[in-house]
Amino acid sequence: MNFGYLLVVSSHDNIDYLKMAYALALSIKNTQKPGFDKVALVIDDKQQLERIKSPWVFDHVIEWNQEAFWNGRSWMDKLTPWEATICLDVDMLFLRDYSHWVEYFLENCDVYLPGKVFTYREEIVTSDYYRRCFTKNDLPNLYSMYTFFKKDSALAKDFFALGRHIIKNPKEYSNLYFAQHKPKIVGTDEAFALSAKILDIYDDISYDLDFPKIAHMKGSVQNWPWPADKFTHHVGFYLNRQAGLKIGNYQQHHIVHYVEKDLITDEIINILEEIAWKLR
Amino acid sequence: MNKGIVILAHNNRKVDYSRMALIAAKFAGKNLGVPVSLITDDETIQWMQKSQIWKEAESIFDQIITTERPDTDNQRILYDGNDHDRVPFLNSNRSVIWHHTPYERSLLIDSDFLICSDNLNNYWDIDEDILISGGFNDIQGDRSGVLDRWVSETGTHLYWATAVMFTKNEKSKIFFQLVDYIRENYKYYADLFRFKSDQYRNDISFSVAKHILDGFEKSQISLPGVFTVQDKDILEKINDDERMIFLIKSSIDTESFYLVSIKDRDVHIMNKQSIIRHYERLMSL
Repeated sequence: MNFGYLLVVSSHDNIDYLKMAYALALSIKNTQKPGFDKVALVIDDKQQLERIKSPWVFDHVIEWNQEAFWNGRSWMDKLTPWEATICLDVDMLFLRDYSHWVEYFLENCDVYLPGKVFTYREEIVTSDYYRRCFTKNDLPNLYSMYTFFKKDSALAKDFFALGRHIIKNPKEYSNLYFAQHKPKIVGTDEAFALSAKILDIYDDISYDLDFPKIAHMKGSVQNWPWPADKFTHHVGFYLNRQAGLKIGNYQQHHIVHYVEKDLITDEIINILEEIAWKLR
Repeated sequence: MNKGIVILAHNNRKVDYSRMALIAAKFAGKNLGVPVSLITDDETIQWMQKSQIWKEAESIFDQIITTERPDTDNQRILYDGNDHDRVPFLNSNRSVIWHHTPYERSLLIDSDFLICSDNLNNYWDIDEDILISGGFNDIQGDRSGVLDRWVSETGTHLYWATAVMFTKNEKSKIFFQLVDYIRENYKYYADLFRFKSDQYRNDISFSVAKHILDGFEKSQISLPGVFTVQDKDILEKINDDERMIFLIKSSIDTESFYLVSIKDRDVHIMNKQSIIRHYERLMSL
């Protein structure tokens, strides 16, 4: 069974999603062992790739412009070229080899989404600051930023089909299922969580594991005694020449979901590119 | 590997650390069954001789080792129930422990930490060069804040240097050298780790040094959290069965105290004067 990561990006006036996807793909190439380092990119305009120096980091490029953002990602099962896929949010970085996690998923799961994430100090995030919709409406606490699935599994087909239907019909599902707290947007987090709840498959697709470990850098879930719009207002983000990452005083080893869309500078890209070029 | 406990005590005008060290040594030696040595200075020894506790000290301590008395301009407010006093704080020479300890594996304890169980005996053989108390557990449970758990709001985990176990080797030598270096460059590290630098704290230097030597990561293992009775609380009485009775300051009505008793638990009693008031009683047990 072939395996690869899937990144879905759309053009945006102010946010460079391709740059983030490029950084993530470079970090995957730099850290994952062969067989676990394939990356496919779904992009609405293939010509955008001319902006990047090493488009070869994307093993497959799929031009697709029928849907954007949340709606686009909800088609991950249809778009992926891989038999087994992990679809990632693009605002993430890989910092070491995580292929042993993937080996577990390949062997044991049809669909898996993490049910917990961590702060930069490796505490489990318990705050529902951004997830009132989940706690108020008793939704399973799924994070779609890291979604593993096998394309041909019946479970994946049902799960994604319903997820897409929810995203397409947010008002109807919100009225029915999010009555206690309506989210501003029904994104893939909410739609996938509701899909799991309706299908009653939460225990099959998000049972407790010690992995994947993802530092989720939304400001107000870092267990600080104050709300924070951006984590970088309070702690630094330091990538060294070897692509080792410190956030504040903490060395990061797990996947980092940095959230802030302007963090990936040309300098960071340059660091990641140099490592990738040396490895190639 | 020989093992033992070391206690550092430097008297000042307000607090008789030598008496506290004797009490702590008596409890630690009895409950852990290992020798206890004192590291102190000439002035404190002279005081012990004058105040008729020297013979007791000679019989309780395995060794009494002298070191230079540290200079300090560090002062802090110590409470004794509702009363308080500003006292000099001679705490800047912890790193001398590494040089002076007569043991290969040492448990360094504060003189206000009374070991009433054999729990810490479980840690002598753990394959870790340096173990520090992993946290602060207030006896009342609701009087600890963010800065009792972290060196700063966004900074690293705060260990409590009330109890530190270490093996005397190159790694622990570097650790204590780094603690010293952080103390000497306290304001610089305060900027880097975002802690308040107005008063030197060993807990912070030890925590930062541990964090750095652990590779800027969360440590996987530590000594148990320090069960603490705060200095606004008062040690009221000790029963014959060694049960300690405390008057605990209410966190709801700050004028009120209520009674709490504990037995067979290692306890950090921050109200130093209330330990010293019970010197005769504690030594008679």
